[in-house]
Amino acid sequence: MNHLKPINRKAARVERATEPDVVALQRTGLPQLPHFPIGCSLVFSPGWEADRAGGTAGLCQPVERDLFDCHIGCYWPAQVPDQLNHAPDWTSKCAAAQKDWRKIDLIFP
Amino acid sequence: MTARNPIALALFMLIAPIARAQPAPPDDGGMPVRNDIVRAKCGACHRTDDKGRMSRISYRRATPENWEKTIKRMVVLNHASLEPADARIILKYLADQQGLAPEEARPVEFEPERRMVEFSYDKDKDTADTCGSCHSIARVLSERRTKEEWELLVAMHRGYYPLVDNQPMNGGQGFRRTRPMQTEPGPDGRPPDNRHPMDKALEHLTKTLPLKTSEWAAWSAAMQPPKLAGRWAIIGALPGKGAVYGQVTIAADPSGADSFTTETRYTVARTGEAVSRTGKALVYTGYQWRGREGEWRQVMFVERDWKSMSGRWFTGAYDETGVDVKLVRLSGEPAIFGTSVAALKTSSTAQAVRIFGANLPTTLTPADVGLGQGVKATRVVSARPDEIALEIEVAAAAPVGVRDLSLPGAVKTGALVVYDTIDAIKVTPQAGMARVGGNVFPKQFQQFEAVGINNGPDGKPGTADDLDLGIVNVKWSIEEYTATFGDDDAQYVGTLDENGLFTPAVDGPNPKRVGDRNNVGDVWVVAELVERPLRARAHLLVTVPLYMAWFQAEGGK
Repeated sequence: MNHLKPINRKAARVERATEPDVVALQRTGLPQLPHFPIGCSLVFSPGWEADRAGGTAGLCQPVERDLFDCHIGCYWPAQVPDQLNHAPDWTSKCAAAQKDWRKIDLIFP
Repeated sequence: MTARNPIALALFMLIAPIARAQPAPPDDGGMPVRNDIVRAKCGACHRTDDKGRMSRISYRRATPENWEKTIKRMVVLNHASLEPADARIILKYLADQQGLAPEEARPVEFEPERRMVEFSYDKDKDTADTCGSCHSIARVLSERRTKEEWELLVAMHRGYYPLVDNQPMNGGQGFRRTRPMQTEPGPDGRPPDNRHPMDKALEHLTKTLPLKTSEWAAWSAAMQPPKLAGRWAIIGALPGKGAVYGQVTIAADPSGADSFTTETRYTVARTGEAVSRTGKALVYTGYQWRGREGEWRQVMFVERDWKSMSGRWFTGAYDETGVDVKLVRLSGEPAIFGTSVAALKTSSTAQAVRIFGANLPTTLTPADVGLGQGVKATRVVSARPDEIALEIEVAAAAPVGVRDLSLPGAVKTGALVVYDTIDAIKVTPQAGMARVGGNVFPKQFQQFEAVGINNGPDGKPGTADDLDLGIVNVKWSIEEYTATFGDDDAQYVGTLDENGLFTPAVDGPNPKRVGDRNNVGDVWVVAELVERPLRARAHLLVTVPLYMAWFQAEGGK
């Protein structure tokens, strides 16, 4: 980013903030595959357990707000019950995830 | 059904691979099914040919866990009606008669042992990406199939999860059919390989994991019902607590073939905590021990000489709490399993050391105990056949290094080490993972431990002669792993107790966090030595729950 110069105070703050210690923002050279030294059974791209930088900052949050897209699209079949096969009415007790998240069941396939 | 009727076509694609698949052509290694219950219960959909081979079933070999997942899927999704007793008979028959040879199963033993290990499949990138993006690649390596069976397996995934066809995987193309064609030749000058990754993976799987192998031909002929009854030594390691020693008495259970009952007693060497449990176990395919003692499951690999077996015993909602064990068959001879301390410091007197074993001498004098130069027993506090308590003195000039421990009739090589200082500490695991829970979903805990390291006789760090001093007393804390602006994970993710056990916070949106974030985050777990300021740290990922319990296995129940 050396060819860009901050022209207002906020931009200057952003530039300063990225100098030290912000690990995720310092990663360059994307696309970079995430490295998970903690297991062999994880992840899509980006992962369920971790984001593309190997942390949690970039995960869909809170997870309950996002679950139903995954369910309806069968997007995370290893992590979320899929609507087509294993749990057609998984969402029936949970009209609004933000309020009703305690009614989400664990599914034993 | 024509292409003009897309719904019928889609339905056909969904159903065709699962129901009434055509029997495969002859001489492809299909194995006849000789069990009446398998034939009766599975025969409604799986046709039997004139050689007794059943469609699909006869053309696949797999571990007990993989067969179990299939049987469950047949019940849940394909309306197979099965009583638990019949399901157990079917599972036992298929795992025994169409299982994996020991050589085939050993490389992926971490899968049934539910270990969090780093494993990447480097033999074929397309296979690793296509299969390993959703589930453990070890699940695939736990199977052997004919070419047609591998193709049908891919078809099944596309039928059940149609979205995979439009889903890029790990930066690759996944199951997607459409993509830009490469026209440029590769670096080796050859024309580009424009085959679909799925097709490349299928070629690899057919070639590398075929139904017929010389290993299975040999093992299926040599396999015998294992005779494991007797007394066995337990030598184990419990993360965070250190070595455990004890005995398990295995008896044949007359109620079923390859069934056993177990009576287990062990002691956590460092703390003296005693554990005793009883349970049952079943051995599949002649060598795959699957046991259960209360909430604890046992997965072990029985060696071919029936003299030792090793694996992992585990519990916890995500199988995250476990002990690595090795069982060794006991004879009437004295045997030393290990000691209560892993390391002895120079210039120390009256150090209490307990020796665990079997058939140990009960009349013992300090002179009978050998520990090498500069180390001697000064007093025998007590002596029982399974445990001897000693007081040990280590001279100031005792040379640093690994020591053997000898008693009359028994020697334990590398029983403990002599050291002068703790030069470094290390936190294991270097990367841990926990899952929030407690409100609706269970918590996944993470145990850390800090071990001491001495630089060894050469005095240089990071060399082969470095000494592992075992668990050392440290003060545990959590520090922020800064990943973004205003990172506040350390405040919310959970707590770490004085023994290095991390307990994650509760699940659900947290209104105190920006955007109602869950209590997820990534932090450093820091250990600081009590006696002097030596620090080490490990990374901890605290993440979201799983909403599907694929990992629940019934083996050994």
